[in-house]
Amino acid sequence: MVGDRFGGWTMDVTLPLSARDLRLTLRTGSSRVGIVGPSGAGKSTLLRVLAGVERRALGRLVVDSEVWLDSEAGISLPPWERKVGWVPQEPSLFPHLTVLENLAYSGSPLDRVREVAARLEVEVLLDRRPRRLSGGERQRVALGRALLSAPRLLLLDEPFSALDRPLRVKLAREVRSWSTEHEVPLVLVSHDEEDTENLADERWHLVEGVLELSPSHQPRGSDSPT
Amino acid sequence: MPALGLGPLMLLMGLVLGPGASLTAQAPPASESRELLVLAASSLSDVLPAIASAWEGQGGRPVRFSFDATSRLAPQAVAGAQADVFVSADAQWVHWLEDRAATRGAARAVAKNELVVVVPRGSTGPSQAGDLERFGRVALAGENVPAGRYARAALASSGVWDNLRDRVISGGSVRSVLEWVARGEVPVGVVYRTDAVAEPAVTVAFAFDEDTHPPIDYWAVPLAASPDAEAARAFVNFMTGSEAARLFLAARFSLPAAPTLQTMSARAEVPEATLPSVGSAVRLSLLIAFAATLIGLVPAVGLGWLLARRDFRGKALVSTAVLAPLVMPPVVTGFLLLSVLGTQAPLGRVLSSLGLPVPFTILGATIAALIVGLPLYVLSARGAFEAVDPLYEELSWTLGVPPRQTFFRISLPLALPGVAAGAILAFARALGEFGATVVVAGNIEGSTRTIALAVYTLLESPSGRETTWVLVGASVALSLGALLGFEMLSRRQRRRMEDDRGR
Repeated sequence: MVGDRFGGWTMDVTLPLSARDLRLTLRTGSSRVGIVGPSGAGKSTLLRVLAGVERRALGRLVVDSEVWLDSEAGISLPPWERKVGWVPQEPSLFPHLTVLENLAYSGSPLDRVREVAARLEVEVLLDRRPRRLSGGERQRVALGRALLSAPRLLLLDEPFSALDRPLRVKLAREVRSWSTEHEVPLVLVSHDEEDTENLADERWHLVEGVLELSPSHQPRGSDSPT
Repeated sequence: MPALGLGPLMLLMGLVLGPGASLTAQAPPASESRELLVLAASSLSDVLPAIASAWEGQGGRPVRFSFDATSRLAPQAVAGAQADVFVSADAQWVHWLEDRAATRGAARAVAKNELVVVVPRGSTGPSQAGDLERFGRVALAGENVPAGRYARAALASSGVWDNLRDRVISGGSVRSVLEWVARGEVPVGVVYRTDAVAEPAVTVAFAFDEDTHPPIDYWAVPLAASPDAEAARAFVNFMTGSEAARLFLAARFSLPAAPTLQTMSARAEVPEATLPSVGSAVRLSLLIAFAATLIGLVPAVGLGWLLARRDFRGKALVSTAVLAPLVMPPVVTGFLLLSVLGTQAPLGRVLSSLGLPVPFTILGATIAALIVGLPLYVLSARGAFEAVDPLYEELSWTLGVPPRQTFFRISLPLALPGVAAGAILAFARALGEFGATVVVAGNIEGSTRTIALAVYTLLESPSGRETTWVLVGASVALSLGALLGFEMLSRRQRRRMEDDRGR
């Protein structure tokens, strides 16, 4: 079980934004966290803080007992050392590279790339450029690229938004079993409660800049597929 | 070539030389209050306005001047500038105008100048023409500018031309010769006395004897195009009168012995001028433009990226400094470059001690082309980097690839078409570069005389119009070809950016 190894994470971060400051405070021991909230609440920003690409973040972030950010101590682990598998809401495949080159970007060996491509059902697309993929295909390739980077934490931003329902459930199951197999904890943000149902063990709500543990959340057996 | 055939060429010259050159194309209709328009040689630009105000003080019509090289003014007069009077630094161009029936009535000599050798103030100069060889290089005005022709004639009849021929630094005008000598870039130069006394940083070493060169007489002639022949003739007469004579003498001109053109000798004897070679000009232009584009690649990409992606103190300053050559007159850029890279300037001294002298060399021409082209290069690269979504770079970081490698694997490949488009613009700009080059590198056949300079030289010469057309054709073809390439690459850059956005 993932939770046995993963030490959880705590976040107490403030972002000075022009309209109002965004304060993200969260403490969890769970290895599969879902965060639900309306658009514009700051869900994507939260992932950017975790990924280390949000330079304005002030405060403290500890992941699996490693300090990733401590602005008072002047610590900020750069993104290339955090090794998170980030799948932004916009799939953002590198447009000048083929699907294969996108998947292998972080240096994975070819057989691993083919294996992941097969699991995500994008194997026939390996030679294509991103512009010739559908929205759903892009999301799957972006997910594969993140999984192949051997991430210590997977960050998923509305990962299934461009998929129809059957594929959405199937893919959620795939990610879940991957997470278990490789002991990779994940954080998923979505405006859709169902996505988090399928994937997360613990659900938080982000409303008007405040993060709250969902009262309705029910811990689930992390090993059994949905 | 018949006078009419010059029309399109003159129009082109107007484009090449800028608005100042075609300023005279339109004159107000003739009326009582009409000003007289006088086309006059540049070397008279101090004294003629003084004479004009004396003339106006005696009730004469107000006078307006267009000062330029005689060789540029004469074709304008033929091309239909509604000017009243032409004052030439050279009898040849008056003959040229007479041949084309552009004058009305006899030309009159109004003043006389002397040809002198100048050295930087405080340095010891030669005392006669025979000493010139010991001074290394000699700066002369261009061979098609009267001052340049007189200087060559004087050196030829003093018997030193053959030895000096290869050491001549050719400037466009007397002014650039003075500038080079004043800065010590060239140890000696040959200019008119009136120009020499007006420049405090040079000293007159000696004057050439009058019989070593054709007489340097200024000729004034009423023009056929003048709407008011009477006033034109009256002003010409006034310039030969006693009041004008006093003012000419005060400005260190002398008075002519020959009052009319009839007594003037036949065509001046001048050593054969080297006409620009088409092949050499095209080769040089391409070489310099390619070199400037190549050398500029790294700075353009670096600065473009820096300005697109980084905020730092003094960013506005850096941006302004890089873009400045875009808005500054190229001659000003050339002047500043000479101040920094001239052999007497600290940085230039270091370069020349390394065997890389900048002034009057192909290196100087390349640097001038690079600096004037760099703004376009950087702007284009900056735009290309700005068009790359930062999300790609951030994603690359999270995939474990640090910024430096991310730059080469993501940012640069995505911006490449835009950078290439910038390279083409810089190349095209370098091909057309004129102003900064002529100041920094001179106009030296086979070494710095590019297409633009060759065309400029040919336009000032009564001969060689056919060669001009060949060069003009080459220049237009190269420039348009480069711009076509730019257009294609910019489209590609836009497509590349749109590629993955269509979700």
